[in-house]
Amino acid sequence: MFTQFFGNYLLSNNLVTCEQLSEALFPKTPHRLKLGTIAINEGLVTAEQVEIAHRKQQQEDKRIGDVMVELGFLTSEQVEHLFSMQHPAHLLLGQSLIDNGVMTNAEFEKALGDYKREYSITDDDIRNENEMSVKRIMEDFYGLADNSLKSKYVYLLFKNIIRFIGDDFMPIMKDKYTNDVTGCVKQAIGGKENILTAYYSDDAAAAGFASRFAKEQLTDNDEYTKACIGEFLNLHNGLFAVNVSNDEGHELELSPQEYNATVPSDKIDNSLVISLRFAFGDVDFFVCV
Amino acid sequence: MALKVLICDDSIFVRKKMRTAIESAGVTDIVEASDGQQAVEKYKAEKPDLCFMDIIMPVKTGVEALKEIREFDKNAKVIMASSVGTQANLKEAIVAGAYDFLQKPIEDAAIKKIIDRVKE
Repeated sequence: MFTQFFGNYLLSNNLVTCEQLSEALFPKTPHRLKLGTIAINEGLVTAEQVEIAHRKQQQEDKRIGDVMVELGFLTSEQVEHLFSMQHPAHLLLGQSLIDNGVMTNAEFEKALGDYKREYSITDDDIRNENEMSVKRIMEDFYGLADNSLKSKYVYLLFKNIIRFIGDDFMPIMKDKYTNDVTGCVKQAIGGKENILTAYYSDDAAAAGFASRFAKEQLTDNDEYTKACIGEFLNLHNGLFAVNVSNDEGHELELSPQEYNATVPSDKIDNSLVISLRFAFGDVDFFVCV
Repeated sequence: MALKVLICDDSIFVRKKMRTAIESAGVTDIVEASDGQQAVEKYKAEKPDLCFMDIIMPVKTGVEALKEIREFDKNAKVIMASSVGTQANLKEAIVAGAYDFLQKPIEDAAIKKIIDRVKE
């Protein structure tokens, strides 16, 4: 989840434009992580050293790892270790931005460092997707109270989107809806808490979202597509109800999903709207506690 | 042994996925219902060997339908399926006479295991 919010951090700090970020997040051909980017992230070399190594590599027909060792920036054991490591997804985003000429290695290094400092994130937090750190970033982004019910709901929503749909999205801030929103898939949660949850997107994004969930190629926003989205909402809300039951000891009751439903404007005023940008389009989740 | 299976879920998507999984487990005689009331009616008309029943449904919930089906056939094998796998829901289903309880999303392997168990 760090990657999704890191993309937005770059955007909100005017380090990239929305188009540049979209291009990097949803590349037509996937980018390959380079040794320099990995080594910078591990704090083993500086961006300046990577630039020196790249310049030297252009003059000699050698692999970048060998050049780094020759220059004394890395040992051969470190090069081997870096290649064998699992790498966090935000690095691939950085690599895409560097390859696309949007940022230099130094600018990426600085942005990543600033992001980690601002949210007190360590490399271990990122590697292990530390829940507390992710929640802190998420709560700050959406202005949620620490460990509140909404915060727990949104954290689980992100986890379930990554689990069932994919991690290639970023949270975005859109203009507030001022009118009723029609054509939603809605599910009410009752019990000790009354929560209205809903999904809204245009037809193309609905087909894209449902295709990912169903693992089928869907092109229309028909009854089947809506049922796929409804089942995603139902699964997510069900898992949330299980968490609430286990953690807080009270039962929530889910209502059947409603299709082609309306979220009235007065409910929207009290709703948290989670807008996410995927390659297939933007989707919105409404959460009104 | 050739089985007849009733799938009851208000989601056309879930019914399709379950039908595919059940067919893969070697069952071809499959009946569908899209709410609890329909499930009771179809159970009485078709007398299936096994029924997969969603809990959260319009018109009549899965648990209400289960109770009516068990009144009609005390040996009915009804597997409850829900996204809300809390202890309370599990207990309610078992007390109402459920044969088993599956937490959604349902794995194809779990469906096959139950069908194999009933076939024995």
